[in-house]
Amino acid sequence: MEAQAKSVKRVPTYCYNCVSGPDLMNIKVVDGIATEVEPNFAAADVHPAKGRVCVKAYGLVQKTYNPNRIQTPMKRTNPKKGRNEDPGFVPISWDEALDIVAGKLKAVRAKGLLDEAGLPRVAVSLGHGGTPSNYMGTFPAFLAAWGEVDFSFGSGQGVKCVHSEHLYGEFWHRGFTVAADTPNCRYNIAVGANVDVTGGPCAVIRHADARVRGYKRVQVEPHLTATGACSAEWVPIRPKTDPAFLFALIHVLVRENGLEKLDIPFLRDRTASPYLVAPDGLYLRDPQNGKPLVWDETTASAVPHDTPGARPAVAGAYRVAHAVVVDADKERREYADVEGKTAYEMLARHIDKYTPEWAESICDVKAETIRRIANEYLAAAGIGETIEIDGKTLPLRPVAVTLGKSVNNGWGAYECCWARTVLAALVGALENPGGLVGTTVRLNKSRDNRHLSVKPGDDGFMVQYFNPTTKEEWQAAPSTRNLHQTLVPIVGHNGAWSQALGPTQLAWMFQGERPDDWTMPMPTLPEVWLVYRSNPSISFWDTRHLAEIAAKFPFMACVAYTVDETNYMADVLLPEATDLESTQMIRMGGTKYMEQFWDHRGVVLRQKAVEPQGEARDFTWITTELAKRTGLLEPYVNAINKGVSGVSPLKGEGYDFSLDTAVEPAPEKIWDAVCRAATVTLSEGREEHDLEWFREHGFYTVPMSRLDWYLTPTMEKHGLRYELPYQERLLLAGRELGRRLHESKMNWWDEQLSEYTALPEWHDVPGRWIRNLEKSGARAEDFPFWLLTTKSMQYHAGGNAAIEVMHEVAQNLRGHAGVIINAKTAASLGIAEGDRVEVRSHIGATYGKAALAQGVRPDTLVIIGQFDHWATPFAKTMEAPSLNSIAPMSLDLTDATGSGADIVRVSVRRMEASA
Amino acid sequence: MTRYVMTIDLRRCVGCQTCTAACKGANATPPGIQWRRVLDIESGEFPDVKRSFLPVACMHCANPPCEEVCPTQATTRRADGLVAIDYDLCIGCANCVMACPYDARSIVHEPRYAYNDTAMASEAKRFDPDRIGVSMKCTFCKDRIDHAAVSGQIPGVDHEVTPACVNSCISGAMGFGDIEDPESGVSRLLAETQHFRMHEELGTEPGVYYIWDKS
Amino acid sequence: MKISALRAAELAAPKQQRNWDWRAAANFICGGAGGGLLFWAAFAGLDPVALRVAVLLGLALIAGGLTCVWFEIGRPWRALNVYRHIATSWMTREAVVALLVFAAGGLALLTANALPALFAGVLGLGFLYSQARILAANKGIPAWRNRRSIPLMVATGLAEGAGFLACVLSLTSAGAGLPMLVGLIVLIGARALFWHRYLGALVADGAPDATLKVLGGIAARLAVFGHILPALFVMAAVAGMPGRGGLVFVAGIMAVAGGWFLKFTLVRRAAYTQGLALQHMPMRGQGAAGAAAKPGWKAMPGAKAG
Ligand SMILES: Nc1nc2c(c(=O)[nH]1)N[C@H]1C(S)=C(S)[C@@H](COP(=O)(O)OP(=O)(O)OC[C@H]3O[C@@H](n4cnc5c(=O)[nH]c(N)nc54)[C@H](O)[C@@H]3O)O[C@H]1N2
Ligand SMILES: Nc1nc2c(c(=O)[nH]1)N[C@H]1C(S)=C(S)[C@@H](COP(=O)(O)OP(=O)(O)OC[C@H]3O[C@@H](n4cnc5c(=O)[nH]c(N)nc54)[C@H](O)[C@@H]3O)O[C@H]1N2
Ligand code: SF4
Ligand code: SF4
Ligand code: SF4
Ligand code: SF4
Ligand code: SF4
Ligand SMILES: [Mo]
Repeated sequence: MEAQAKSVKRVPTYCYNCVSGPDLMNIKVVDGIATEVEPNFAAADVHPAKGRVCVKAYGLVQKTYNPNRIQTPMKRTNPKKGRNEDPGFVPISWDEALDIVAGKLKAVRAKGLLDEAGLPRVAVSLGHGGTPSNYMGTFPAFLAAWGEVDFSFGSGQGVKCVHSEHLYGEFWHRGFTVAADTPNCRYNIAVGANVDVTGGPCAVIRHADARVRGYKRVQVEPHLTATGACSAEWVPIRPKTDPAFLFALIHVLVRENGLEKLDIPFLRDRTASPYLVAPDGLYLRDPQNGKPLVWDETTASAVPHDTPGARPAVAGAYRVAHAVVVDADKERREYADVEGKTAYEMLARHIDKYTPEWAESICDVKAETIRRIANEYLAAAGIGETIEIDGKTLPLRPVAVTLGKSVNNGWGAYECCWARTVLAALVGALENPGGLVGTTVRLNKSRDNRHLSVKPGDDGFMVQYFNPTTKEEWQAAPSTRNLHQTLVPIVGHNGAWSQALGPTQLAWMFQGERPDDWTMPMPTLPEVWLVYRSNPSISFWDTRHLAEIAAKFPFMACVAYTVDETNYMADVLLPEATDLESTQMIRMGGTKYMEQFWDHRGVVLRQKAVEPQGEARDFTWITTELAKRTGLLEPYVNAINKGVSGVSPLKGEGYDFSLDTAVEPAPEKIWDAVCRAATVTLSEGREEHDLEWFREHGFYTVPMSRLDWYLTPTMEKHGLRYELPYQERLLLAGRELGRRLHESKMNWWDEQLSEYTALPEWHDVPGRWIRNLEKSGARAEDFPFWLLTTKSMQYHAGGNAAIEVMHEVAQNLRGHAGVIINAKTAASLGIAEGDRVEVRSHIGATYGKAALAQGVRPDTLVIIGQFDHWATPFAKTMEAPSLNSIAPMSLDLTDATGSGADIVRVSVRRMEASA
Repeated sequence: MTRYVMTIDLRRCVGCQTCTAACKGANATPPGIQWRRVLDIESGEFPDVKRSFLPVACMHCANPPCEEVCPTQATTRRADGLVAIDYDLCIGCANCVMACPYDARSIVHEPRYAYNDTAMASEAKRFDPDRIGVSMKCTFCKDRIDHAAVSGQIPGVDHEVTPACVNSCISGAMGFGDIEDPESGVSRLLAETQHFRMHEELGTEPGVYYIWDKS
Repeated sequence: MKISALRAAELAAPKQQRNWDWRAAANFICGGAGGGLLFWAAFAGLDPVALRVAVLLGLALIAGGLTCVWFEIGRPWRALNVYRHIATSWMTREAVVALLVFAAGGLALLTANALPALFAGVLGLGFLYSQARILAANKGIPAWRNRRSIPLMVATGLAEGAGFLACVLSLTSAGAGLPMLVGLIVLIGARALFWHRYLGALVADGAPDATLKVLGGIAARLAVFGHILPALFVMAAVAGMPGRGGLVFVAGIMAVAGGWFLKFTLVRRAAYTQGLALQHMPMRGQGAAGAAAKPGWKAMPGAKAG
């Protein structure tokens, strides 16, 4: 036992298994064996969660010693691939494995990076919301050295994630992920935002503090999640009707309370509310300089929006003597004596029909409840209040509407994102203390600082980098298999993140069938597919079918932990040193996902607490070997020097730790340089710490002002406005995109084009799922229930499904490995607790034990997480059902951003022989 | 006099099971054995439903029925309030298991491992044959508390001498300390909140206080 | 390998205890009957043969029960530690009494003398009483901790002892005398009464739904086969029905079997734990705290059974 142990040490490191990290922890190592995960209280003062990690991190010891790990490189011996083909993996040496992979890569380089269709021959899939980048060491530098890579083949991350928020959130306020300013918030309407389950320790403790402080959270969700349980109120809304609910909230604010009760200065100065809109729906612009016009109340005339001294009218309709509009493809029209309504006025008239009474019948939520919630929200906003932060007085608007992933993707998500951002803007809570804040950027640069991404662009807004839709520049022949530049202007083209957030299901779908009027080059298979920490065959839709498509790929190499449902089709498996066995430095604090906004920012080291099991190797070592064997050593080391993998460039003002590009760098050498460069830059030259220092101390931070949490002061500094509530630019992008597609004789994206509206309209969102199944020949009445999914605190997607202790502790909570069903509904179907049930959609069935609950709508079933594993050791014995096995992948269910939702119509019945 | 107690703020707990897993790690309990676990409890009927999470473990009763029935004095109540089990004395008769009204105790008769029959390195390192066939339960992390006496640290204040579950809790739901000391964190917290102890009517005088509202 | 899935919804609810299986139940079943038998053997004025048979059977029953327990405990080689807590533990006391029972019983066997038999009888009753107290001290099992379980356990032990004695007598000598038969009827009646009062008290004091269901479920069978029929048989014997020895024997067996059935049910099937409860659902920022919850119980005011 421990008393007789020769050595006991505690190794500081991080967990970033899910996107809510990084969180800090210590690993207790006894005689060289990792035995325990503990909080790292040395970080208590800098880490919002006080140096604590969540339950998932406590599985990392088992993860390390799991006997089912792949511990040597393996190659496939069965040339046939498929779910029913045993891959016949046999152990091989690292030399052989690396040579096989490098050989395939070199062959690609010899032929050219792009194939005959103009698509990259190499595809790479990285999963779980981008977390792999916190474990893959210098692999990004290898990819940079390589050149064009296709990130098209999506796993659940991206299009099933908070996709619309990623795109529109970043568009409106640089909020790739968006959160309530919980430390200051008083009223939070959480629409499917399952933050007490998914937000990680930082969010959990913040919301707990807020509860004790007496804030109110209203959870709007079809079933009672742990988050709903911990909320003051639960509103069991009908699935997929959230836009109607949110529109009605806006209605109550705008129509029933009126502008006088809203944050007029914010609307006037920080949003495009005063911009005058012509009867044709476009901004009225100054004929000379093309700037949008506002109605100046002091001079009673239309003036450009940035006219000094002007006092723009927020509401109303005004006659403008002379103005122009600029339509799609820069078509200019002139107007004389035209009526311009302010954008706010357009909103007010638009929202008039969306009354709470109207919403009641759609959402199954009482009108009086909707009205009360809207009024509580407005009252809690405390318009006029201020707060002092670091010597600066800012508005205090402690209200926020937050959206979860299932209302944030697919049809209706644009409407939801728009409505919640408008709700923030109406009360001045957008990017102000207490309100709604973006917490990170990914599609804009600089990636580590949202404020640096705020640069003046057109029309008084922040600059945006849309994929072009003009005749000259539109990408008629896609450069990626998911067509992200061709189809989705707003996703941009800013590197791997933009690509991976394209319509990744199209890449899968179009490998099989393409629309009849497809006129672009036929998509090809990638010659080499590399997969890391992602399991699309479990996490995507129609997963059984997806696995069949993946089986057709000619060559696949996976950096692997265990065999799983995706790497089952691999040709080579490369065993990786995992969380406790490998080294990397990443940034922490500053801007990160979810509620990871800190009072500090800095760097943290993941370090080798114990020796890797078997032949597993550090990813950085694997990468360097691949770089060497493909002849890319020099550009690879150059990329490292530029800071592609590390946290900052290795050479900068007053320091130079750059590595010799001619020598193969040992991983320790790389991270030592990164440690030094990071500390020198963070401390602005005051301190330099090496790898040894970090091995002992774990992390390094510098204080960060809370002012950095809020974008509005920066917007104010630049004199910029949020592009709200009216969406002229989106309207135009859609128009242009439509023209391009139609010019190419393609109409298959027409339905999606309908989403490009200046002010979103309610349409029958749930009906899309019903029409989809009817289109495939099924009868709607045979599938009377909604099936949803919800995340589990104990699992990071399917990533730790192989860990026994997670299964054990998860069983303490209802519904794990089961099907959550309303108790009354179950009784009416003769289903009892624990009965084995079949949940069937029009494309298949999945099976699990019934978990009866009162806290779920009678018309809704819920399956937690993403399981139904058939290859992953241990996980496959769980016999857990999954929505993904029976939810279709379909163009009909893909929205204009290219995402879809985790929802499907189903039937449920008791299996005869109950287990 | 000292009596160590635990406070659990139900307003904070989100049922994440971090404490469950932390206790399993800190005490190397075998698969299926949870000295601490967090229950998932629902009341009411749709749509008026409440759901709450209830962390449970040994309550370290001041009047522990487990001690009373124990024929070997393996179970004893210590002067500082901890109810402890001496594994060398225990005969595994399970009388205490029946006596405990909190489902806090268990007995494992065979070694158990996470993945089939062989111990992983981490399990082998920590396997303790003394714990086979005897009664086990939450110890209030006795070794840490005992260490406090040596190091002069204060349980509930200094993390090194505070129970692992309390340290781990990501919502800050749990407190630990001496209830006899009016200045301790737990005493002060209890003074300003409404709380209950479970099954108090059984006269066990449990040492775990559940906070449910401000006072 | 197949891995288990628990039902989270049931984790807080009372659970059937799994630590004392049939072996522990056998101790209560046999030991209690043995104690009862020793007691009646001491006072029934038996002839030496009958006395020896009765004492031997009584001791064997107790020894058998204890052996079963020995096989059940986790650390059998440390069993002697059981003597360390005479101050409060009824299990220690039971073990002490057991030793004395064997000493006195052994002497009675050897000598067939009334005095050691008397000691053995009183100690047998003590053993029986200890067992009743062992159960009742277990606060974790509402079916046991109810104070009315003590008279019930004692009454059934005595009824079983009398049943056994009736059997022994009907086989060994001239048969059971009238006082013996009347006594048996009275004991059966007493057990029925204590059972009835016990059940009533459980319902009144509250017990897990599952416990009440199990106990309620055996009430009719127990009444017919454990109480009414054996009592009728004995009455028939008293009334002079032919085949008196057979009637008494069957009645004795039924009195024993009824008790054993009752005890097996009580120790195994009805032995649900207390379960866990939430007196107050917590406040979550604002709104109402919510009602209490005591899954698996109806009795708690304001609570809804989960
Ligand atoms: N039904 C349902 N489906 C969903 C969701 C849902 O809530 N419900 N959520 C969606 C969302 S938001 C997302 S982001 C995606 C995520 O889905 P994916 O991006 O596919 O991620 P994971 O399922 O976590 O896959 C992680 C894989 O990495 C492997 N792995 C784990 N640890 C290591 C390691 O240390 N090294 C290596 N090399 N491999 C490792 C695991 O074996 C696993 O196969 O899923 C989406 N799909
Ligand atoms: N523990 C843990 N934390 C994680 C992750 C993880 O895997 N595990 N993954 C991380 C990732 S990649 C992401 S994207 C985030 C996601 O974080 P969240 O968005 O908070 O995650 P979910 O639990 O999927 O929440 C979606 C909720 O939407 C509800 N829902 C479904 N359909 C509807 C609907 O039509 N209307 C409404 N109002 N609600 C609906 C479901 O009930 C579900 O609870 O979590 C991150 N954090
Ligand atoms: S929230 Fe995510 S990153 Fe943080 S500790 Fe848990 S698993 Fe790790
Ligand atoms: S909770 Fe149970 S085991 Fe713990 S002291 Fe009380 S009676 Fe004993
Ligand atoms: S199992 Fe051990 S601790 Fe429990 S009562 Fe028996 S001897 Fe005492
Ligand atoms: S006090 Fe220690 S032993 Fe008890 S539950 Fe907490 S971690 Fe486990
Ligand atoms: S760690 Fe804290 S919040 Fe999580 S279940 Fe345990 S007590 Fe509740
Ligand atoms: Mo995600």
